Amino acid sequence: MKKKVLLMGASGSGKTSMRSLIFSNNPASLTSRLGATIDVEQNHVRFLGDLILNLWDCGGQDSFMDSYLTTQRPTIFQQVGVMIYVFDIESREPGKDMEYYRDCLDGLRYYSPDAAIFLLLHKMDLVRDPQQALEKRRQELEEVSGDATISVFGTTIFDQTLYKAWSSIVHTLIPNAGILSKHLSIFAQACGATEVILFERTTFLVVATSSSGSGVASSAVPTYTKDGADHQLEPTRYERTSELIKAFKYTCSRVREEFHTLELDLHEFSAILDELTKNTYVLVILHDPTIETAAVKLNIRLARNKFETLQADSLV
Amino acid sequence: MASNYISYDATASNQRPQRPLLNGTRRSSSVQRTKVLFLGLRRSGKTSIQSVLFKDMPPKQTFYIETTMRITKYPIDTVVPLELWDTPGNATPESIGIPIGQFRSLIFVIDIRDLYNQPITKLVDFVTAAYQSNPDINIEVFVHKSEKLQEDDKIENFRQIQERVTDRLLDLAPEYEGVQPNFYLTSVYDHSLHEAFSRVLHKLIDSLPYLEDMLNVFCANSQSPKAFLFDTKSRLYVATDASPVDSATHNLCCDYLEMLTSFGTLYKSASASPPRHIQPTGPNAPSSSSANGTSSTSSPTASTDALPQRSRKPNKEMFYPSAATSLHPATPGTTLTYHAITSSLALLALVPTAVYEGRRGLLEYNVVFFREGVQEICDVEKETREGG
Repeated sequence: MKKKVLLMGASGSGKTSMRSLIFSNNPASLTSRLGATIDVEQNHVRFLGDLILNLWDCGGQDSFMDSYLTTQRPTIFQQVGVMIYVFDIESREPGKDMEYYRDCLDGLRYYSPDAAIFLLLHKMDLVRDPQQALEKRRQELEEVSGDATISVFGTTIFDQTLYKAWSSIVHTLIPNAGILSKHLSIFAQACGATEVILFERTTFLVVATSSSGSGVASSAVPTYTKDGADHQLEPTRYERTSELIKAFKYTCSRVREEFHTLELDLHEFSAILDELTKNTYVLVILHDPTIETAAVKLNIRLARNKFETLQADSLV
Repeated sequence: MASNYISYDATASNQRPQRPLLNGTRRSSSVQRTKVLFLGLRRSGKTSIQSVLFKDMPPKQTFYIETTMRITKYPIDTVVPLELWDTPGNATPESIGIPIGQFRSLIFVIDIRDLYNQPITKLVDFVTAAYQSNPDINIEVFVHKSEKLQEDDKIENFRQIQERVTDRLLDLAPEYEGVQPNFYLTSVYDHSLHEAFSRVLHKLIDSLPYLEDMLNVFCANSQSPKAFLFDTKSRLYVATDASPVDSATHNLCCDYLEMLTSFGTLYKSASASPPRHIQPTGPNAPSSSSANGTSSTSSPTASTDALPQRSRKPNKEMFYPSAATSLHPATPGTTLTYHAITSSLALLALVPTAVYEGRRGLLEYNVVFFREGVQEICDVEKETREGG
């Protein structure tokens, strides 16, 4: 199954940077080397086996934008699964950004009325009061977007917010996220785990979690435990985990190693991060000290086939 | 000058409290700390270095650090209790306030892009002053901000600085031939700073040879190509085995430690989860009962009764966190292990995955053995200090 993902926004707003961070395992410090994108750069990214993300990174210079909105309009806006529109929060021409966004939105609603729309207010690390700036822009954008359903995220490539936004983006693209979540919670029960989280292998974006059907969208939810006591966990843990593991993967690649598995046995909890299927990793969090990590590893190995078929089934 | 020398002698005979202490958890505030002096011209990066190393300041933020106007002392608890003296750019040997000989190390910071004449003159002034009162003082030169130059220029400038310093010292008097400053190429933006400061720290640890010996034994018995004993908080390595330190491996270990530290706080249960170590491991532990029957994913239950009981002892002090990450999907790969040794030290070792998976028990036995050794050394250090 192929899903078209449009990545749009003004020139220099950070589209290509975030793409290189999420899909190419590059660190944030190297994004300054990226040049301007000319016209449209198309990429196919295999995500979860059969799901292929067809990324259209659209160069944002005015002349390109004008041609997207005129001659190329049908080509660009047809059959879009998701449109991601990136705004530089410190943009010098917010008015012009808004105008282009409105035009793109019109094009999208004409050709692909069902497409999901994500608006990323990017480079949040540059603003002094991110929360306030985000709220202000969110209101503006909601006004402009009219009755279209939009999701607004404040992001920066320098912390976990980018992973949070992208995790919810891919979440809308995965057809069987609910089923995966359900099976993950059964698996969590079988392992006596507090929480089980499924990551995509290359991007380390969160695909599904055991804690609830809605997965990424819900955070700080009470999670399953045997002793009845709900563990209140850090709400940003999913995206922080993505960020940490991605950074460590990059470190490993620098010494020509490849990150494979991780197991932790700490004062507060144990954790096992291991391959589940060909293209996913699973993180099992245990708060019960009586559970052997080796047993969980065995469980993961035995669950592999089931998840392999689950993934294949629903993607047909 | 003679009086200077005597005054140094006096401190030398009194040096017991200056002995470094490993794992001092009950350090009193009156602990006599090993003094380290930071020198260098204005804006060479002295304060930045200290902030990045010990205050967890993100490297980018160092840009905003204000100029140091007067001498500031920072007590730092690494494996050795240190007192870092930060100086303004115009400090002279006289303005420090105490004889230079009382410092164990001088760290001189040179901006790699500076004109070298002025900093080297200043360095030589301090070296002569220090050498007269304490010929054993460690002279460390950090050629700093190396990230600003391209690879070739960087090496060339580094070499030139070394050459000029040595020449100037020799020109001064032949007796300075014995003074061997150590040079390091550093930057706050990568791990070169941690590596350099680790090497500085090593000279201040009196028990270093014993720690190194134990690491050698550990490596030999565990087929480990490389092992580090790290101070977990500052991410400086306290000791390593005899094989050469390759900075790629060192970087990997630093990043691993950083990742583990951040990870550790992520899944901590805020709502008063019972401490993991108190829970009893009975045959009827709840984990096995509730898990049965729900295995529609065809996974067995993580039942505890089939497995030998966890060796974790009920006493919190006896539980040592550990972690492992395998770095290659295939079997001939490497596993990077982490084992807490004391509350502030951790052993990081590269072990062949085959050894880690196949003979984990033996490996862990070796760790226990190593841990006992290090703890014994720490205890002796502490006793010496308290007794002195």
